[in-house]
Amino acid sequence: MSSVIVLTPIIIASWPAVASAVLGAAGSMGFTIAAAERGKELPAGDARVETEVPNSEVLAETLSRGEKIRIAKDGVIIEIGVDDRGRCTVCASGRGKSKPELKRLGEECSGRIVQQFAYHKLVTELKTRGYQIAEESVQKDQSIQMRVRLGR
Amino acid sequence: MATPEFDITIGKDGKVHITVHGSSGKECVALTDMVRDIVGKEESRTMTSEYYGSPGAVRIDAHVQATNQRSA
Repeated sequence: MSSVIVLTPIIIASWPAVASAVLGAAGSMGFTIAAAERGKELPAGDARVETEVPNSEVLAETLSRGEKIRIAKDGVIIEIGVDDRGRCTVCASGRGKSKPELKRLGEECSGRIVQQFAYHKLVTELKTRGYQIAEESVQKDQSIQMRVRLGR
Repeated sequence: MATPEFDITIGKDGKVHITVHGSSGKECVALTDMVRDIVGKEESRTMTSEYYGSPGAVRIDAHVQATNQRSA
């Protein structure tokens, strides 16, 4: 080998691109899309924990006010939206769930959104530069591994 | 030298680890910079011994000529 680099993805994208990463993240965590009712609040009385997706900025002109995606699994609802500063937010809630548990789920969801976003961006950009994916797999620890080389 | 290849691992926390094979020197730096520009912020970079190699094929042949020394 000749060099090894570690990178932290930066998400500066339109809402549709972020929404696509959210759907991928939901699928990989076994969540399903809950009813997307604009403006409807999460159930009152449920514990809730809000985190944000680090290094994220959703381009304002691509977002309708109050637009959110809600995903659900085993009584936990995670709502992904955008705050006033354009940062992508993740709010996990669930009756009978502890705050540390919800925080862990929210952070895991946030990480998976970044993972899915980075994956799609890398694949798209490398293909436009003439590279091809020679091998690809999802490991037991849920990381995505790819081998990329210059295409003919 | 072999065609450059990347091994990319995207962790479930989103962190991206990239290993570049088959490239050295400026070419290697250009490849890693390209991937960094796609993904985002660089946390660390480690150059390995291959990085310091020549970008072209280099072959060094050493010939040892044995001479028969006849004893006088």
